[in-house]
Amino acid sequence: MHVEPLQDRNVSELSAYYYVDIPDYPETGWDKFKQVMKRTFKGELFVGLWVVLREMIKFDIHTVKYPLEKLPIGPRYRAVHKLLRLWESGFERCIGCGLCEKICISDCIRMDTRIDENSRKEVTEYSINLGRCIFCGYCAEVCPELAIVHGERYENGSEQRAHFVIKDDMLTPLDWLTSGQQQEYPGFGAITPNESVKSTPLAY
Amino acid sequence: MIEFTINNQPVCAQKGETILQAARKAGFYIPTMCYLEKTTPCASCRLCVVEVDSTDGLILSCQTPPTAGLAVTINSDRLEKERTNIMKLYDVNHPLECGVCDKSGACDLQNKTLEFAVSAQNFSAKEQHRPVQHWGLINYDPALCILCEKCTHVCNEIIGDDAITLQFGGYKSAVVPKNSDVLDCTFCGECIAVCPVGALVSSNFQYTANAWELHQVPSTCAHCSAGCSLTYEVKHASIATGTKEKIYRVTNNFEVATLCGAGRFGFDFDVHATKDEELFTKAVEAFKNSKAIRFSSIITNEEALILQRLKEKFGVKLFNEEARAYQSFMAAFGSVSGKNSFSGSLESIAQSDAVIVLGGRVSTDNPAVRYAITTAARHNGAKVIYMHPLEDELMQNVITQMVKYEAGSEEGVIAMLAKTLLNGCDVSDEIQSFLNGLDEGYLCAESNVGDEEFAQISKTLIRAKRKTLVVGLDILNHKNSANIAKLCGLIEMATDFSVVVISQHVNTVGVSLICDLDSDKPTDNVVGYNASGDFTVGSMGVCDMLVPALNSQEGTVTSLNYQVLSMNVAIGFEGYCLNDIANELGIREVNTIDYTSQLPIQKGFKGVDFDSLSNFYGPLGEDNRGYILEMMDVACDGVIDDVCQLPEYNGTIAYACNPVNQFNIYTAHTTQLEKDNALRGSAQFAIAARLAHGDRVTIEGHVGTKTFIIDETLKGTIALNPFYEESTANRGYRFEKIKLTKVES
Repeated sequence: MHVEPLQDRNVSELSAYYYVDIPDYPETGWDKFKQVMKRTFKGELFVGLWVVLREMIKFDIHTVKYPLEKLPIGPRYRAVHKLLRLWESGFERCIGCGLCEKICISDCIRMDTRIDENSRKEVTEYSINLGRCIFCGYCAEVCPELAIVHGERYENGSEQRAHFVIKDDMLTPLDWLTSGQQQEYPGFGAITPNESVKSTPLAY
Repeated sequence: MIEFTINNQPVCAQKGETILQAARKAGFYIPTMCYLEKTTPCASCRLCVVEVDSTDGLILSCQTPPTAGLAVTINSDRLEKERTNIMKLYDVNHPLECGVCDKSGACDLQNKTLEFAVSAQNFSAKEQHRPVQHWGLINYDPALCILCEKCTHVCNEIIGDDAITLQFGGYKSAVVPKNSDVLDCTFCGECIAVCPVGALVSSNFQYTANAWELHQVPSTCAHCSAGCSLTYEVKHASIATGTKEKIYRVTNNFEVATLCGAGRFGFDFDVHATKDEELFTKAVEAFKNSKAIRFSSIITNEEALILQRLKEKFGVKLFNEEARAYQSFMAAFGSVSGKNSFSGSLESIAQSDAVIVLGGRVSTDNPAVRYAITTAARHNGAKVIYMHPLEDELMQNVITQMVKYEAGSEEGVIAMLAKTLLNGCDVSDEIQSFLNGLDEGYLCAESNVGDEEFAQISKTLIRAKRKTLVVGLDILNHKNSANIAKLCGLIEMATDFSVVVISQHVNTVGVSLICDLDSDKPTDNVVGYNASGDFTVGSMGVCDMLVPALNSQEGTVTSLNYQVLSMNVAIGFEGYCLNDIANELGIREVNTIDYTSQLPIQKGFKGVDFDSLSNFYGPLGEDNRGYILEMMDVACDGVIDDVCQLPEYNGTIAYACNPVNQFNIYTAHTTQLEKDNALRGSAQFAIAARLAHGDRVTIEGHVGTKTFIIDETLKGTIALNPFYEESTANRGYRFEKIKLTKVES
């Protein structure tokens, strides 16, 4: 349905709006008494109870048996973060630019970086305080390398109010990467992992 | 004054100013990439081009002075196109690694690229493989370098190391160490400071933090008496340590000020303690029972005032021989010059066209003085007369005349120098008779400085207009320092020389003004405050009780310029400080900085609050740091004594002299600075002392052993003996006849 008919608030045959058939409200005391008696003795209650009983006997139950059973989550759902690896080399995608740390509005991301043996920036530790995180998705949005993304783990129950995820928790394990279990999220700059992914030649 | 117009608006320029300087003063904006206010124009970026009515071509405003009536246009479509093209060329193959680059967020190239809206690469060049160079404390990435030449200009013109140069090769050009494969310099790090991109970076800092994460704390360097301005940049130490903070780097306002390596790399001398009641009570007891307090000058003015109050209230003696030597020198100096301080300053050295350095190894004692001398030599063509028993390799390329005198003969040398400089000056009969009465033959023979050398000095000085005499640290502890001081005062008073007396520690001047010091005699119950004692309270090494170091303190220090400069807390300190002890003893103020406004007005301090002291350089380089002490008149009643017997130093002599970037026990505790405490002597010294390169030796009267190293740059029989690791106590005269004993290993 288009929004245009809804924007016309005048009720007519052309518009999407129509009058609902609502009986008049009782005004006198007698009318009110009649309404109460009608509702009390009509047996409407048993209509509902019968529906429940009927469905119970049929054993056709739609309730999701959480936590034994979980509903599938949309690929863009923003749950606990993941750090991804490069398909072609297995290196960490995170370059340690610090943009996620900077943009984080609840100030819950911190990272330690250093210069490694190859004179490149190395992220030695990365942590997110899930007690503070509001799962706004800014970190994933600002990441220039598609390194930090939101995963599908939404259970945050813990003994403490503040609980953290550290780099090892979030980073795709290498064996997952090789077995193709690293999940990619479609969108700007995303890659489709297949045979065409090759390592970038770095040497001149 | 030259009157001309910029964009049809009238502008005035001083003589010697360029169009760019005049434009900036008048508030016009001309973009630049390679311009540095403190050096001569690099003229490599060509971004400052302007149009003038007198010629068709574009001219560089950074190096062109205006002529009267000139009509300058600083923005037009043609200029905009020219500048945008320059920016497009700068961006050719510049690695797109802003994400990891240390400079990102504070990068001139980033800013200007955005300013000129260069969003694509319009030109191309073959990409080359240019690996990162590791030069000790400095890393150089040639791929990021835009060849602005700022680094080579400061290295040559301000620092005087002349250690890096541009290797020309078109697109392959790069900054390279001069005449060497590896960088061999004093590691001042000024090249890192001026680099507009991330090409030259501190290897310790690289990739550890981003510019925007660091919290900036403006402060003053605590290592030598120059009191250079610096900014501590602070961030949490790491994820693991929670909120504990750490200094990541030190930056400075490189446009106008300079910082040496100790200031830039020696920042992690902070100490940590917690409030230990028991220890505190013990410390209070120790102060209560003390007969004397021995302290170093590496403290703030406020702490010095608290110590002075303790003396006034309890009658304890205050021992600080190093500051006392300076105090008595300045007292003797003032008794002839009539003022309590001297007229020179670091700025006046930099602006001089003739500098005499006497009795001090300035390159290591006080790098700021060295930089000022280099600036004077490079920018004003200043003649530098260097008078010292030892040649200094680091000063060689600015010295015009080396006058080598015998160790110990300073009094004779300065008497002869005074006679040379006062020649033709109008002086009293008394002084004239003193000068006439000098036994020139004896003085010249004993000091080993010939008549012709003094004749040469006076010849050199004929054309000089702004002259400075720099008096070094050797003099302060000379046996006859009082008479030398009077002679220096005479030069200050009677000639057009301005004198600068170098003091040793960060607050020697402050302590000498605030405290009444006593002669250090062996006493029972001495409390050491940052110094040795029966009970020691301090911020270095092993102390009974820890108090905050100068990067954890609020307070002021007085620099050798007699400027009161403020220090701020970079790293918090959890324990007790001197003010807490003073409060227990009944000298009550809530904070240490409450004493700032109580500093003695009769000594030239202004009674202003700490919080009203500013600490920054203005956009045009105005020094808005603290305030300069007022020069006070003192009684002019000094009588210059006759110069009689000059002391002689023969045999093996050691000269107390620290290596570059090392000053005291604080710098010795920093992680980045090189810690070389070897005794260095010439080959001749090695023969005289019967030592070979690499021998371990003990020096009689000194603790511990040292390695002896033969240094090719040295001559003669004087060895250099570093003392920075020892306590800050005064060591007496710096030349010392020593007895060396070889230690068999």
